[in-house]
This record gives sequence, structure tokens and C-alpha cells, in this order.
Amino acid sequence: MPHLELASISKSFKSNKVLDDISLAADAGEIVVIFGPSGTGKTVLLRLIAGVEEPTAGTISIDDQDMADVAPEHRDVGMAFQNFALFPHFDAFENIATPLRARAQSAAQIKEGVARVAKLLKIDHVLSHAPRQLSNGQKQRTALARALASSPKLLLLDDPLRNVDAKLRFEMRLELPRLLREAKSTVLYVTQDYKEAMALADRIAVLAHGKFVQVATPEEIYRHPATVNVARLFGDPTINLVETVVGEGATIDLAGETVEIDKAYAGLKGRSVTFGVRPEAVALGDGAGLKAQVMAVTPLNERTVLLLQTKGGAELLASLPSSSPAIPKAESEVTISFNPIGSHLFDRETGATHAKGRA
Amino acid sequence: MRRALPYLLSLPALLVCIGILIPFFTAVYYSLLRFRLNLPAMKGFIWFDNYINFLSDAAFWNTVKISLVYAGLTVGVELLLGLGIALLLQKPTRFNNIASILLLLPLMTAPALAALMWKLMTNPNFGILSYFVSLLGFHDFKWASDPSTALFTVTLVDVWVYTPFIMILLLAGLRSLPKAPFEAAALDGVPRSFVFFRITLPMLLPYIITASLFRLLDSIQQFDIVYSMTQGGPGDRLMVFQVQSYLEFFQYTNVGRSAALLIVLWAITYLLSNIFIKQWLKLRERAHGGA
Amino acid sequence: MDHTSTLEQVIRGVLITCVLVFFLFPIFWIVLMSFQTNETILRIPPSIVFEPTLSNYSALITGRLESAAGNLDIAFMKNLWNSFFLSASSVLIALVLGIPAAYAFARFRFRLGEDIAFTLLSFRFAPPLLVLLPLSLYFKQLGLTNTYIGLIWVYQLICLPLILWIVRGYFEDISPDIEHAYRISGNSWLKTFWKIAVPLAKPGIAAAGLLAFIFAWNNFVFALILASADKQPVTVGALAFVTASGIQYGQIAAAIVLSIAPTLALALYAQRYLVEGLSLGAVKG
Repeated sequence: MPHLELASISKSFKSNKVLDDISLAADAGEIVVIFGPSGTGKTVLLRLIAGVEEPTAGTISIDDQDMADVAPEHRDVGMAFQNFALFPHFDAFENIATPLRARAQSAAQIKEGVARVAKLLKIDHVLSHAPRQLSNGQKQRTALARALASSPKLLLLDDPLRNVDAKLRFEMRLELPRLLREAKSTVLYVTQDYKEAMALADRIAVLAHGKFVQVATPEEIYRHPATVNVARLFGDPTINLVETVVGEGATIDLAGETVEIDKAYAGLKGRSVTFGVRPEAVALGDGAGLKAQVMAVTPLNERTVLLLQTKGGAELLASLPSSSPAIPKAESEVTISFNPIGSHLFDRETGATHAKGRA
Repeated sequence: MRRALPYLLSLPALLVCIGILIPFFTAVYYSLLRFRLNLPAMKGFIWFDNYINFLSDAAFWNTVKISLVYAGLTVGVELLLGLGIALLLQKPTRFNNIASILLLLPLMTAPALAALMWKLMTNPNFGILSYFVSLLGFHDFKWASDPSTALFTVTLVDVWVYTPFIMILLLAGLRSLPKAPFEAAALDGVPRSFVFFRITLPMLLPYIITASLFRLLDSIQQFDIVYSMTQGGPGDRLMVFQVQSYLEFFQYTNVGRSAALLIVLWAITYLLSNIFIKQWLKLRERAHGGA
Repeated sequence: MDHTSTLEQVIRGVLITCVLVFFLFPIFWIVLMSFQTNETILRIPPSIVFEPTLSNYSALITGRLESAAGNLDIAFMKNLWNSFFLSASSVLIALVLGIPAAYAFARFRFRLGEDIAFTLLSFRFAPPLLVLLPLSLYFKQLGLTNTYIGLIWVYQLICLPLILWIVRGYFEDISPDIEHAYRISGNSWLKTFWKIAVPLAKPGIAAAGLLAFIFAWNNFVFALILASADKQPVTVGALAFVTASGIQYGQIAAAIVLSIAPTLALALYAQRYLVEGLSLGAVKG
């Protein structure tokens, strides 16, 4: 039995349909990341689950109980808002204590509960501060602590790292998985940062135009993106995309040159497609094959990114581990091939991925 | 329950609305009656006769004229004075802030009581102002009791009470203007009269319009000051709308005519207030958006 | 940046002084008068040097005014009490009723709310007599003429719209997420309203309440039409006072001072709220 179940949820504001027939089930203790560009209704979805907005259609169930007539205060949900939404007239302690007070705990229990999450989030030294005296990072931690304080069964986190600086975001991205595991809650985590999504999620639900395009594990999403858009959203540098047509015997036309691709695509002859290849799936060598010139070499974190140009003028990015012994120099010429594992064909009309037919 | 909540909460406001609307429609109904409190037997429906009679009624036209003159005169003077004072106090120094607070006092004085204060000051026997003007050579200056100076005197009181209102609004407006255009103009050595007429005034215009319309709507129906000061006199020199309809109702007990007068006044203010509300909502949006 | 010349500073100083003299002199002079007897008031030329007397105030407070025509009983203190009682209870009731309504208007977008807000706004500028004269006839039928209840009821026409409009603006400025966060934490709607919305709108509530009190106190025409002597506030009572024969001028002045002192003191005490309320009420809403 899933802990949280969304069945055919739709939400419209006036004539504007924000969520369109969305379904999702999350198991107890699972971390599901709702991922998508801004303005796709991620926040609205969390509000619906929290009960501060009502869906236009569909049902939300928690532990198999329909939430339609359950007020927000009775849903046993913890939520952290993108803008923190701290109570400006309470100090940090009282902010964090709010869910505990509402559950009519004794003064000692409240003190202990606040101390526990405050320590976890390293804000025990600022508990007596008013929100306006806190730094952005401290605000964000206070908001998280408030959401975690009552150990709710369901945690809704609305892009909590959005409004904090890069350094803190990096730290929190390392810290959060441990925190969330310890909380043992089911977590719905909204973000528009794919690295955050990959780092935290058991499963990622990709939201676009009011619908889930793909709900799968981070690895699955990266390896087998359901659409060209999903492929584009995950990965840095982004996937190389070339619009082309499938030719004789699993080949495509790449700026005038015929290139072999995964034999599994042989059945798609004549179809208009978008060819996508991840930069790390662009293999470099020397010898015979498709030639390309190295235009630029840029180190990026632990990898090195190369900008390549084929004779026909097609530009491709390749990425190699920086520790790799054979990083070509700029202006040199290399032979390239495409690793089938990082290569995909997408339908040019619908954007959907073509399955690799098992011939 | 959840859906009924907003309706439940706004119930008192709804009651007040009803409390306004019922008398309002009653007044509309009365205005179509021949209705004298002292002659109940004469009561009857006469459609628009009360209004039609106004057309040939010199007293009515006198009321229209004096109400418009009063509103135009008071608001005009208050606007000029209020703008001038706001410009004087524009810099938020400690002295200017204290001055602007002290200037609130006349506005916080009940207009009816302010009228009495000025009545004491313009008393021909001991009034300090009568003494001052006698020093200037005006010996028998009769202030509000002389038809030729009554309007001047009552305007003086209105100006004393309400100029601070315009001043406060314009001061808030002036202090909220963006600094950049003024700094740029100062750097370029633009003459100050040009800055005032081409930058300050246009940017302040929404505030000026709001404040003057607000005052105009109040002033055209002024009652407290005129009634306390002269009861519409001397003669009918200051017989503005509301004073006229008050006397019509209580002195001549002519309810129908009194109601018709008020409906005419209401129609004028309704037109003005529609313009005002539009302007006001625009400004309100700006205040919400900016700041 | 500041290159105002000395001459300009002098001119500014002189002008501001003139302005202050014009607007403050009447209050100053009435206060002086209230400490004088007829004898010193009638002196020509007038002088600000005199022996102050409290007799005017003591006469008002005891209610026994001695004059050439004999002893006069005037219940001015009763008027003062009426003003206080009517204004305070009207504002209190308007706050109790108006704050929840303002909250409903700010938080829930609903048709009726918009209609009410619009009606109140458009009648904000309607002539008060238009409502008062028919109301006076209804009041006679209902037996509400010259009762505190009737007066407090009509005073809602002043206080409630003011509170609705000002407080609504403050509620609108509170991020709904703050309230959502409180509810999700496990608190009922009512508790959220009471612990979050109301405390955060407190400056607005203070401004609106203060302004409503002053407007109610300063109101003249409502009580002129609907109240007789024993229920009249000072604004109406003072008028009767002036026309009563044989009253000393100093006593009139003292009555005026006592009548305007409460609102002026309030205004000075809470000027920060007041300026905010005035400009919000007019500009921001």
C-alpha cells in the first residue's frame, strides 16, 4: 500500500490549467523529487497535498484515506516553503516549536524536540533570534527544522535551497540526503536543479506542461530519458542534439557525413528524428572513421569538456574524465564514435524516445 | 462550513451595506413624493415634480452655485497651500517632521468645533482677529455675519482644517518619488523652475489628483463648518446643499424636496467619485507594487 | 550635493514659521482664553499677560455656571462622557466585526465580498444626510431615536468602512504562505487568524482604530439629527452651549479645549500610526 497516492489530479485557476490529470504513488519513506522548470505547477502540487488549495479534480490519499475533507492541520504533513515563510513575530525557537505546540506536547517535550532538530541542522546557537536577525542560510535551516520538528509522516519541501547562496546550497545538497533518511518520512521534494534531484531522489517525477513526463529512478531518467526534453534537462554539459533522418542500415546523416549508430535502430529507416548523444558517450580515438577537429578544451569540475567540429560543420560536445591520460589538445584532429549506451533517437514530432528494437 | 466562512465573516459588513442601502432607496422614494411631515394628509406620489420644480427655483440654483463655488474655492486654496507647505517640509529633517506632525492638529480638530473656535476669534467684541484687522484699518469687519465676507470667513476655517490633509498626502507623495531624475537634473545644472514644472509636478500629479478629488467630494457636501458657523446665512449666502436640505427637512418639514435635493447632490458626487475611485485604485496599485 | 543658499534657508524658515503660526495660533489662543475671565478677554488691546484662572474649568466640571443672569446648569461633562462612550464603543464594535470581515475580503476572492467592498466605497462619498434623514424617520418608528444603541449603530457607518479598508490592505500584505505554514503545522483556521494574521496586521489595526475613534469623536451631523441633549456628544453640545445666553466666553473656550484635547492628544501620541492610516486610507486603502 503506497503511503501517498495522487489519482488523476487536475488544478485550474480560472481558465488556466496548471496540473492536468496527474497520478503518482509514493511508498512510505521514499524520497520523490518533483522536477521541472519554473512555472510548471510544482509548488501548486505541494499545496494541494498540504491541503491549502483544493484540486479541481482527482483524489489525494494518505495511508489510503481520502484527504478531500481533511483540513491541512489534520494531515500530519510538514512543509518547507521556498520563501521560508517563517513567522516574523516568533523567534526561531517558537517557529520550530509551532508543530509541537499544536500537538499539545508538554513544555519539556517541546524543548527537547526543538533541541533535537536544531542540533541536527546546526542552528542551536540562534534559537533566540527573530527571523529578521537570521542569515538566509539560518532562515532556510529554521524553516526545515520547523517542517521536521514533529517528525511528520509526509514531508513536502518546496525548493528549499532556491533562495540560499551557492556555497550553502552545495553543503546542504550533501547534508540533506542523510537528514531526510534520518527523518524516515515520505518526502516530496520540489526542485528545478537537476543535480539536487539526482543527489536526493529515490525516484524523480519530471513535470512539464502540467503532466508527469517520466517518473523513474535518477539512473533510469539519465540513461533512458522518456523524451528529448527530459534528456535535455538532465546532464551538464547538456546532451548533444542533431536533427536528422535515419538512413540505410542504422545510419544517420551528420552534416553531410553518414555515421553509424546503434544497430538496434535499424528498423527506423526514413524517419525524421533528433539524434541525441551524451557528451560522455562521444568516444575519441585515432584511425579511420568520422573525423573532427578539437575547437576548445575546457575543464569542468572533475571532467574536461571538448568542443568538436566535424568536417561538415556539426558541433558536438565531448566530456572526458580530467584524469584521462589521452586528452587531445586544441586544434588537433580526432576520430569520434558514439557509445550506444549514451545515444538516443527521439521522434522529431512528439519528442518521445524511440525504443531500441531488439532485432 | 469552509465555504460558508467568508460569507459568515462579512455578515456585519453586509448589514452595514443594507443599513446604507435601505435609507438610500427610501430617500429615492421620498424624492418622488409630495411629503410634508406637518401635512401628512397631502402625502402622495408626484413622480419627478420635485426635480422639475428645481429648474425654475432660484433658491435651488443658488444652492448649486454656492456649493460649487465653495468646493472650488476651498479645494483650490487648500491645494496651493498644501503643495507649498509640502515642498517646504520635503526634506525629512527632524524639525520638518515635528512641524508636519504639529500641522496635523487642525485636521484632528472636529470641524464643528473648529468653526466655534473661529467664531470666538472673529467675535466683533473681543475676537483677536477682529482686533488684528482693526489695526489694519478695517474697523467694523463683520466676518461671517456680513454677506460680503461670509464666504471668505468660512473658507478660512475650511482651509485651516483641511489644508493639512492635502499637505500630508502630497508630502508622502513627494518623499516617495524616485531620486534619480532629480540627481541627474542637478548634475546637468537644469534650472530649478524647470525641474519643478517638468519633473516634480508631473510625477506628483497622481497624488495631486487623488488628494484634490478626495477633498472636492467632501467639500461639495460640507455641512459641519457652514452649519456651525452661519447655518447657511447670512440670508441664503452660504446655503450649500446639505445645509439647505437639513433646513428643508427639519425647519420646513418638506421631506420630498429635501430628499430630492440630496439625490441631486448624490448624483454629482457619484459622478465625481467614479472618477476618483478609478484614480485611487491606480495609485493604490502603485503603492502596493512599488515601495 | 546640497547647495541651498543662506538666503533661501532664511526664506524657508520664515515661511515655515508663518505656516506654523497660522495653523497653531487658533489652538493657542483658545487655550489662553480658557484661562481668562470675561474681564481680561474683553480688554482692548488684547494681551497675553493675564492672571490665569481655573474658574472656567471648575464651572464646567461642577456643571454650575454662574452668570449675571443667575446660576445655569449645563451638563457639559455629560456631553464629554457621551463623546467618549459613543466613540469608544463604536470603535470597539467596529473592530470586533470589521477585522474578520477585512480578513475575509483580503483572503477569499468572492463575489459578495467584492460587492460589499464596492458598495461601501461608493457610499464613502455619498452625502451623509441622504442616509441620515430617512434613517431618522425609521429610528422614530423603531424607538431608537436618542438611544446609545441607535447612535452606536449609525456610527458603524463611519467606523466600519474605515477599518475594513485599512485593515484589509494590511492583511493583503501578509504572505499567505506564512498562514499556510501555521495551519500545516497543525493549527485551526481560527487559531491561525488569531495568532498570525491579527498580530501581523497590528499596526494597521492600531491605525484604523485610532482614526475611527477620532472620526467618530469629531462627527457632528449624526448626533445632531439622531440625538437630543442628554445623549449628545461634545461637537453638538458645544454648539448649544455657545447659543445659551449668559455664558462666559472663557467657559466656551474651556469647553472647546476639553472637547478637542482628547483627539489632539491621541493624534500627537500616535502620530506615526495616524499618518500611516491617513495616507493608507486615502492612497493605499
